[in-house]
Amino acid sequence: MFIRRLPKFEYHAPTSLTEAVDLLVKYGDNAKVFAGGTDLLVSMKKRETVPEHLINLKGIEGLKDIHYDETEGIKIGGLVTLGELERSKIIKEKIGILWDAVIVMAAPQIRNLGTIGGNLCSAIPSADTAPPLMASDASVRVVGKNVKRTVLVKDFFKGPRESVLNTDEILTEVIIPNPPENSGGAYLKLMRRKAMDLALVGVAASLTLDGDEKVCKDARIALGAVAPTPIRALKAEEVLLNKEINEDLAAEAGRVASQEARPISDIRASEEYRREMIGVLTKRAIMEAFKRVK
Amino acid sequence: MKEVEIELKVNGVNYKVKIKPWRTLIEVLRDTLGLIGTKKSCNEGECGACTVIMDGRSVTSCLVLALDAQGKDILTIEGLADGEKLNPIQEAFLKHGAIQCGFCTPGMVMSTKALLDENPNPTLEEIRRGISGNLCRCTGYQHIIDAIQAAARSGGKE
Amino acid sequence: MGELTVVGKSVERKDGRVKVTGRARYAGDLVAPGMLHGKLLRSPLAHAKILNIDTSKAEALPGVMAVITGKDFPGIPYGVRPDTRDQLPMPITKVHHFGEGVAAVAAVDEDTAEEALELIKVDYEELPVVLTAEDALKPDAPPVNEFKESNLAYSSHFNFGNVEKGFKEADYIREETFSSQRVTVGFIEPHACLAEVDPTGRILLQGSKQSPYITWRHMCRALGIPLSKMRIVNPFVGGAFSGKHDPFDVDFAAVRLAQKTGRPVKIVLNYDEVLAAYRQRNAMDARLRLGVKKNGAITALEAECVLEGGPICGIGPFNIYYFGAFLNIPYKIPAIEYHGKLVYSNRSPCGTVRGQEIVLAQFALDSLLHMIGEEIGVDPVEMRMVNAVTDNWTTANGIVVDVSGLPRCIEKSAEVIKWRASRKSRPKGRGIGFSCASHPSGPRLGGHFGSSVVLKLVEDGKVIVTHGGTEIGQGCNTVFCQMVAEVLGLPIEDVEQGVSDSDTTIFSPGMFGDRCTFWDGNATILAAKDLKRQLAEIAAKELQVDPEELEFKNRRIFVKEAPEKGIDFLLAVRKAYYEQGKPLYGRGYWAATDIDIVDWKTGKGNLAHGLDFIATAIELEVDEETGTVTLLKSAHADDAGQPINPLMLDGQVLGGSTHMIGHALMEESHYDEKGQAMNYTWRDYKQPTSMDVPLEAVVEHIHTHDPYGPFGAKGAGEASSCSTLAAIANGIYDAVGVRIKDLPITPEKILKALKQKEGK
Repeated sequence: MFIRRLPKFEYHAPTSLTEAVDLLVKYGDNAKVFAGGTDLLVSMKKRETVPEHLINLKGIEGLKDIHYDETEGIKIGGLVTLGELERSKIIKEKIGILWDAVIVMAAPQIRNLGTIGGNLCSAIPSADTAPPLMASDASVRVVGKNVKRTVLVKDFFKGPRESVLNTDEILTEVIIPNPPENSGGAYLKLMRRKAMDLALVGVAASLTLDGDEKVCKDARIALGAVAPTPIRALKAEEVLLNKEINEDLAAEAGRVASQEARPISDIRASEEYRREMIGVLTKRAIMEAFKRVK
Repeated sequence: MKEVEIELKVNGVNYKVKIKPWRTLIEVLRDTLGLIGTKKSCNEGECGACTVIMDGRSVTSCLVLALDAQGKDILTIEGLADGEKLNPIQEAFLKHGAIQCGFCTPGMVMSTKALLDENPNPTLEEIRRGISGNLCRCTGYQHIIDAIQAAARSGGKE
Repeated sequence: MGELTVVGKSVERKDGRVKVTGRARYAGDLVAPGMLHGKLLRSPLAHAKILNIDTSKAEALPGVMAVITGKDFPGIPYGVRPDTRDQLPMPITKVHHFGEGVAAVAAVDEDTAEEALELIKVDYEELPVVLTAEDALKPDAPPVNEFKESNLAYSSHFNFGNVEKGFKEADYIREETFSSQRVTVGFIEPHACLAEVDPTGRILLQGSKQSPYITWRHMCRALGIPLSKMRIVNPFVGGAFSGKHDPFDVDFAAVRLAQKTGRPVKIVLNYDEVLAAYRQRNAMDARLRLGVKKNGAITALEAECVLEGGPICGIGPFNIYYFGAFLNIPYKIPAIEYHGKLVYSNRSPCGTVRGQEIVLAQFALDSLLHMIGEEIGVDPVEMRMVNAVTDNWTTANGIVVDVSGLPRCIEKSAEVIKWRASRKSRPKGRGIGFSCASHPSGPRLGGHFGSSVVLKLVEDGKVIVTHGGTEIGQGCNTVFCQMVAEVLGLPIEDVEQGVSDSDTTIFSPGMFGDRCTFWDGNATILAAKDLKRQLAEIAAKELQVDPEELEFKNRRIFVKEAPEKGIDFLLAVRKAYYEQGKPLYGRGYWAATDIDIVDWKTGKGNLAHGLDFIATAIELEVDEETGTVTLLKSAHADDAGQPINPLMLDGQVLGGSTHMIGHALMEESHYDEKGQAMNYTWRDYKQPTSMDVPLEAVVEHIHTHDPYGPFGAKGAGEASSCSTLAAIANGIYDAVGVRIKDLPITPEKILKALKQKEGK
């Protein structure tokens, strides 16, 4: 019922990925990995999860870099904190849609602890990094025992707090392909106050226009907090294809997106309000993305 | 269960303490090291009262395992003043009425220090965002914002 | 008195340095040798019989020193009034609300204490739950409080002036209903307490308490011990706002466990416990009917109010009177009829919150005033000017206003917010809302009500101030030092705040109702004058003049007409101590004598002096697609008489207003149909952050001189809390034409109202 002090656990601090994976193999469901701990430690204090073994990933080398390559795109180590993303010129300039998200997440102190890997692996429906990454066709590298796979972010989530990770797997890297020429993206988040809040509704929109920067050649719209997982609004995307972007069209896409979503009513907001806000935020995100096309 | 021995560097001082692995940094600071300046309230990272600076970055110490704070440079409110000589941020808080009950003050000052160390000339918007993780119920934030603007202007000089 | 040198200046807070360096100690920071840690077990049910509590397994856990329940107390109920004694330290026969503490454990460490809680087995028999006043008043509603048969906890009925005549004379009459939600108090420091039996055998309590006197009286009664058997020493308090007046289970449990174990016991709550189970503001439902003349002048008011207060009366009886009483101010209302009910329920117990019931009454009245003004074509500023209370006004129920700067306040706030310009043109979705308010400087509530201050003059010429108020952040420690310094002609550095210890301090009745500056301030001045008289006698003898001829300034005592003829202040002090062998103390006691103990049931009487007046204007923007409100600018013009410390006064005004931004727009304590608290975490109970306050906030002081106030000052802590709700509601109406009368004004409500408006 009430928050308590942390429960007992055995602490492990592996210094290599192999070591970490082996620990996961050994302890299976009795272990949890953590990086920032901002989600896990609170869950543990609430006794929602009580792992016997805690595996600190932060001692593993090679997972903390942000790297930009003209061909390969942007690579972000799973342990890069949200604060580091916020401060990164690469992120701000090359993948602004993600930067939009990190600057409105939680609070400065939490952003200095929380990681992009942690945010994705929490798999909460309102995870703010998810819609921008989904809208950017991003994928994640996952490493397990004798397994190395790449999963598209849009395929990463199974349900609330459930990702496709197996018990022995660790997310090591986020890979974002370079946005094509004539692209622009934006993420908008609706909250109950102007800071330090979860998303009531989160919308990421990414557009690619033709050479004249008029007709939409490609569109990605991803929604957060309005379904059991973050989702792509595929039908809404179709509304925009091969058309000239304007506010009426964007509003139409918004209307379609709000029908694709499955928001719920809870103490934070009602289903009707969320649905309507999907429409408004989608319209605005599309128009903002349009504005940002260089 | 077993206690472990850890080394923590707090305000430039090296401490060797024996703790249970599940102790958070705030608990060790307050209960083991006797540094009661950092305050505990919600214990879930939603109020900022427990803010300290770790390797130059503000963090909510209720969500940091003490074990995990090893090898880091930790700065708490007690580490700001130089004897009786206050840090310019502290002086500015005093001068601009930014303190009332004082409970949010240590966390607020630490968030301010982290902000100004990184961004010595923040805009009004950047200041408001910089302390958006610290709840205050007494002041209404305005005097705190005034103090931060003044501290930034003084550029670390009195 | 001449020109002021310390009073009226924004001197640095006396406790600023210890707070800004992290050295200030709050209850949770205290330690004592052999200290045990306490924790409370809380009820998961909102209303249930306690059939049995089995503590045997918990008691057997190694490291557990004692376990207690409600049965460990004598069973003597206490309460604010003799006829409202309906509270027990901990429940015995039944639990009344979610999270109520049913047992407490003291153990050698916190982990053991937590573990012990899990071993306590409580057998409950669920009872039906009542959550709203409406449900609680139904004939078949289960009684909530075991000491009262009816769920109608208290009522108040006024009838002053001739309401019928007033309505007949009105050119326009309008009736509206308003409602306000449950909100938590929201101080940042959670409840904490260290209790021990001191070396003399008395209980020593050091807790985060706002009103040690109230705590002391209630606790001794409920524990069945004589008053002289409890000593209270106050640590710093991390905010209170009327949420920490009475003793709670935290305090009672710590004391009882300390008695049982013979060791000090400290209990520190986690904030989610505070949100779940501790003081909130009454939920309110009100109906107001107002009659006005063509020019907007009010002729009559008829009102009804129901306050839902949780399972205790607490200060509720005063609240229900207060709502009605302060409908009468700050506007001139010749006739008023009011009926108020306080009702029990199974939600968290209510006390009151910053601004008390005036906050709610003013929300209703100032919203209604705006609505009427619009209908009859009188501009909001004019509407308030026409009705504003002026000097020497007595309300229909007998509250005397000595000095009112309200008309000037209204003009000033309109000027600062650029009201006239905004009427000519303003961007779409932008609006300005006004409200006024008044708050008294310390009501008299019966029983002990005066303030006592003792000043000790140390041999080195410094003064130590021991006053009976409690520093909860509002700055009273500093203000009294300023007053002493002013009277004795000393610099502020020479005056210090002493400890707050019931062995040496006579506590004032409590830190509420803006009484501190006014009541304790007046006592401080008297104490300083007492010291001044003693020193003047010594100096007069030395200088061979009449004491009347002397002036105190700049650490000197000299002849007014011949300043070069004088002695150092310190010399007079040393003469007393070393020549006469006489220590120097100044004593002052002050209580307002020409106010009344008002009968809360009928409302007649002069409640208090020092009515503070404020006019607040808030400019905001509404996003018509999302319903989100952004506050742009607030302008407060406050008449606090003579400001003692202008910077601190500004802090009070801005803080109070920001607090109510939360109440207006984003805060609500939710319960499900079984009475379980739903959002008892700051993750889901949203208080304003630095990003939610207006981009620009201006406070202007309208100087007046209160005839009873210290140096002419009035209490100023709560006026802006009272004027903010309606200013925001009116601003939203001005911006997008929707009127929301039930708080909080959420984006969803705004959108719904916008749609309804379009539908028309």
